[in-house]
Amino acid sequence: MSGLGELERDVMTQLWDAAEPLTVRQVHERLTPERDLAYTTVMTVLDRLAKKGVVSQQRSDRAYRYLAVQTREEMTAALMLDALGAAPDGAARDAALVHFVGQVGPADAAALRAALEAAARNS
Amino acid sequence: MTAPLLGALGLMLSLIVPKALAQAHWPARVPAAAVVLWQCVTLASVLCAVGVVLAAPEETLRALGSGRVVAAWVLLGTLAVAAAIVSRLLLSLLEVTRRSRVRRDRHRLLVDLLDRAEYHGELDRSLDPGAPRIDPGTLRILDGALPFAYCLPGRSPRVVLSGGTLKVLAPEQVNAVLTHEQAHLRSRHDLVMESFSALYRALPAPLRRRTALDAVHLLLEMLADDAARRRSGAGPLREALTTLGGAADALIADTGLAADAEADAAGRDSEAERRDRLERLRPGAPGFSVPLQLSAYALAVSVLVLPTVVLVVPWLAQALPTWPL
Repeated sequence: MSGLGELERDVMTQLWDAAEPLTVRQVHERLTPERDLAYTTVMTVLDRLAKKGVVSQQRSDRAYRYLAVQTREEMTAALMLDALGAAPDGAARDAALVHFVGQVGPADAAALRAALEAAARNS
Repeated sequence: MTAPLLGALGLMLSLIVPKALAQAHWPARVPAAAVVLWQCVTLASVLCAVGVVLAAPEETLRALGSGRVVAAWVLLGTLAVAAAIVSRLLLSLLEVTRRSRVRRDRHRLLVDLLDRAEYHGELDRSLDPGAPRIDPGTLRILDGALPFAYCLPGRSPRVVLSGGTLKVLAPEQVNAVLTHEQAHLRSRHDLVMESFSALYRALPAPLRRRTALDAVHLLLEMLADDAARRRSGAGPLREALTTLGGAADALIADTGLAADAEADAAGRDSEAERRDRLERLRPGAPGFSVPLQLSAYALAVSVLVLPTVVLVVPWLAQALPTWPL
């Protein structure tokens, strides 16, 4: 994974693991024990994630706080729904993704979602 | 007589031949050649349709002996219709490519963020030290008990596994799955599928047939299976197919919610596909054959070349001298 991609992933992990929205400084502090990072780099990464729509920005007392738009479990479930071909547009076998075996096809999305949520709770 | 003959040939290539080809068992033995044959048959049927559009009005006019002005207008009309057919195909291809790219970009963003770094070391340690490794830059492992594996083709490809897959599959089975996915990515099977999807979507709904789409999809899976079999042997691949194939179906059945009829049909299709793939991996199954491969390639070339030589060239020889423009 490229350096930037890896950093984006680790920043997201911090936001997911935190109980509340974090400031840039807080994210920076949580990441720096393991690596040497500039404050501005963390700021850039959070900005990029916000532009991609996976992180939202909240203004509170002169500082921006960041939080993940979806929990890790929600995002995983959404991803799997897309991966299993149950996307709302019924994108059946349009070659966007190639499955190792038996795509579920335009399956009943409700059934699949229930199954995934159950699976997420049990894991 | 060119237009009726081309029309008959086109109907045969788009209705009868695909049905026969989809039901035949030999393509599974030479999947690469069979994919080329499907491409040639499909391209030839499109060319026949364009040929009919061009030849029919010209032949009718020649038979009626109409004047030069009428002939010129009719020719302009036919050219416009032919151009419309070709551009509809190209636009459909652009649209399919664009949609795939948008969906993949979004999907890639999410798998990159959800990747669990800690599983990578686990997987790495479980594989034999000598076993070939997948490029760690392309592998993503997600949380989740549901076992699944797929790949995200394109210029920045990804192979995606779930944590559940690593739990239910033995290391050599995981290796077979990874080799299978990499074969898809390296040979750009997505481009082949996209061209067939584009044609499917370009046709008016009553004329659409999934025959070619489904058959080519299965053949591409078989090609990737062959790559995995060469590296890991048939055994681990067969076991991985059996284990992963049942997982999603079982999960849906567990919820007790009935899937709709369309999903049922899709489930049966994927079930049949898995059976076909397992069948050719069984010990003693009829395998690759050079003569069969050569015959399939010869057939593919002749499907494209013969109609041109026998029908189109003689028609052009007659039609061009009376070109009205």
